[in-house]
Amino acid sequence: MRFVDEFRDAELGRALAGQILATVEPGRHYKVMEVCGGHTHSIYKYGIDDLLPANVELVHGPGCPVCVIPMGRVDDGIALATRPGVIFTCFGDMMRVPGSEGTFLDAKARGADVRMVYSPLDALRIAKENPAREVIFFAIGFETTAPSTALTLKRAKAEGVANFSCVCNHVTIVPPLRALLESPDLRLDGFIGPGHVSTVVGARPFGFIPADYGRPVVIAGFEPLDVLQAIQMILRQIADGRCEVENQYRRVVPYEGNLRALEVMAEVFELRPHFEWRGLGFISQSALRLSDAYADLDAEQRFGVPGVRIADPKACQCGEVLKGVIKPWECKVFGTACTPEHAIGTCMVSPEGACAAYYNYGRFAREREVV
Amino acid sequence: MSDAPGPCFDLAGHCITCGDEGVEMRVLGVDAARGLALCEDAQGKRATVEIALVDAVAGASVLVHAGTAIATLGERAA
Repeated sequence: MRFVDEFRDAELGRALAGQILATVEPGRHYKVMEVCGGHTHSIYKYGIDDLLPANVELVHGPGCPVCVIPMGRVDDGIALATRPGVIFTCFGDMMRVPGSEGTFLDAKARGADVRMVYSPLDALRIAKENPAREVIFFAIGFETTAPSTALTLKRAKAEGVANFSCVCNHVTIVPPLRALLESPDLRLDGFIGPGHVSTVVGARPFGFIPADYGRPVVIAGFEPLDVLQAIQMILRQIADGRCEVENQYRRVVPYEGNLRALEVMAEVFELRPHFEWRGLGFISQSALRLSDAYADLDAEQRFGVPGVRIADPKACQCGEVLKGVIKPWECKVFGTACTPEHAIGTCMVSPEGACAAYYNYGRFAREREVV
Repeated sequence: MSDAPGPCFDLAGHCITCGDEGVEMRVLGVDAARGLALCEDAQGKRATVEIALVDAVAGASVLVHAGTAIATLGERAA
């Protein structure tokens, strides 16, 4: 398949691993964070970490939108889903994220009309098919998914679909990266930048990382050779004493991003003053809400939500995992009380979550033997 | 469409919620008036895709995320 087979070539992979080995300085430890969950998934699916020298450590970042949803937002969603006459729609993974009193699936089992959709457009279609019911879409995701929600809201407004509304939980990638760089817990040497978020926002927003923090960033694709090459490029920058934003994923990511997507997002959304991230706490201007022009489509305003902050379960260490402070298998409940089938923490819910990636690709068994 | 719970993978094993992974699809036909296109992925699965953010023409490859094309592929060197 085009853009796939040539990026999974084993011989080229071994050559890149050799280049990485030749680039690193013996005795120095390198910590490289892959920002997004898609990279985490690729790293464990293809065993990329096994090809790296022992002194190159990959640290998993907060780029899985399911994983960073705090319990209070799930509770808000469930409060809406259980309102009489409501059809509540969300992406599949979101249905299994636990709130303080269960998941959307539990709410569905108790009688709420909760439906999985693949796209916000599906939710809008459901609204048109059910004009006597209120249809709410629980929107989550980074800048990759936000344009899709924005276009759907524009369409709903243009077509006058009055029974459609949206709970906006869209988040933005730059503020949590800045928060991580400010964190004393973590000393990172470089970042594998998010591929498809960059398709929308471009490379420019990551410029503050080399400029303000002196760390290299390489925007990367998701095939194994993409990730390996990005690691090699980061290590090369360090070896050369350079520090800049490079784009390994030029076949998809334009430097300036998708201007039409940014325009539609700017019309439909505005920044929230602050938003709670699971494990990272409240981060200023890190999430989106509907702009005044679209306030009539905002489910939070139309119906009201409890808006209560709920503390994470004590046993769960998703916060440390999301900050890259601990590895998933170092969490007390990993693979025992917390599994993909019965997740306590969000990182075990989504396949892009670091815990689920470890668990699903056999890291559980291997790491347990080491322990 | 199945309403089954569980991890929400597409046919290539990606998480569709975000995961920052899009799906490459080929444009089969464009409905310019509605801003939609019929697209097909590598496994032959078809879907109606929002194309307001790209210049989609029949035969082009697009990167689709949550039902919306966010990039046209193949314009730049790999």
